Amino acid sequence: MTIFSLWAHKVINKAGGLVYQRNFAGSSSDGLAQLTSNEYLVLAGTLHGIHAITSRLSPTGSSSGAQVIEGETFKITILLTATGTKFVLLTSLAEATAEVVLQRVYEAYSDAVMKNPFHTPEMPIRSEGFDARITSLIGAGQP
Amino acid sequence: MTIYSLYIYDRHCACVYYQDWHRTKQPKRAGEGGILNAVSQAVSPLTPDGVAPTPSAFTSPRNTLSSTTGLVVAVGEDPPVQDPVEHARSSTLPFDEEAKLVYGVILSLRNMVKKLSGRDEQFTCYRTSTYRLHLYETVSGYKFVMLSDAATEGLRFVLRQIYNGPFLDFVVRNPLVLMDSQVQGIDNDYFRASIDRLVRGLSVFN
Repeated sequence: MTIFSLWAHKVINKAGGLVYQRNFAGSSSDGLAQLTSNEYLVLAGTLHGIHAITSRLSPTGSSSGAQVIEGETFKITILLTATGTKFVLLTSLAEATAEVVLQRVYEAYSDAVMKNPFHTPEMPIRSEGFDARITSLIGAGQP
Repeated sequence: MTIYSLYIYDRHCACVYYQDWHRTKQPKRAGEGGILNAVSQAVSPLTPDGVAPTPSAFTSPRNTLSSTTGLVVAVGEDPPVQDPVEHARSSTLPFDEEAKLVYGVILSLRNMVKKLSGRDEQFTCYRTSTYRLHLYETVSGYKFVMLSDAATEGLRFVLRQIYNGPFLDFVVRNPLVLMDSQVQGIDNDYFRASIDRLVRGLSVFN
């Protein structure tokens, strides 16, 4: 039960731009590949597009976009907020608390980022307060 | 808990088979040339003899009658009755576009999962608020995609059963099916009936 990585991305001009990304302790030991920040940006954009398409493919009624995407050893949990910000958490398959953690991340984001007068909306998040909240919530990040 | 639909794609990215069960939003028929032959009768373009006859000039919805006073009066008749099935389909995508979207999503997710894991790891399924999509890919490049209710557990074993049973028996070992032809799907009566029996026998069906 490990948490690998957290992304937050925000809709900018209908393209998903990544504003925050952080890997956690689990990711180096048994988990995912180390990617460059550029690769994370590309993946976040792809995920944004896929999310929009998946809501159109519903065989019954209207549907949300993808909420959980599973591979063989890890899963991607996505929280879409009312304002269009997406929070994405990469965890092991057995991790049962991913949704709850994302709700807490959203709270931390509201408190430490949106209420911060020095934060420019749509820009990458550089806030020690937010980093500290995430650390206490999930654990120590990786450099 | 239920199962909505099944798509099979070959390694040339073409949809070669389609079947659905409890779909409430039916796709529109594919456009001419949009999909291969023998994918599914339900979504193939209408054949020339199946096309509804176009209304001739004499059944035009508007009749103009000239009255004796020299005024021209236009009389509107009832609008032509639309086929209720086709009408219900009007808000959804045509099948050929839907099939391409499904393929695009699974291909992108497959690449994303490979990239993130850094090894040859398969994408298995995703879930939204109303449905769940499962993928099983064979070594020969065939992709089996199944859409089911959001509450169902993993159904890859079912896709594997379809591959091991009906697919090998009625497609691979069937000399009349042109595999890899890029002009022909793999639909045939035995295959369709066999999959139907397998899926209807599942505990998650209903």
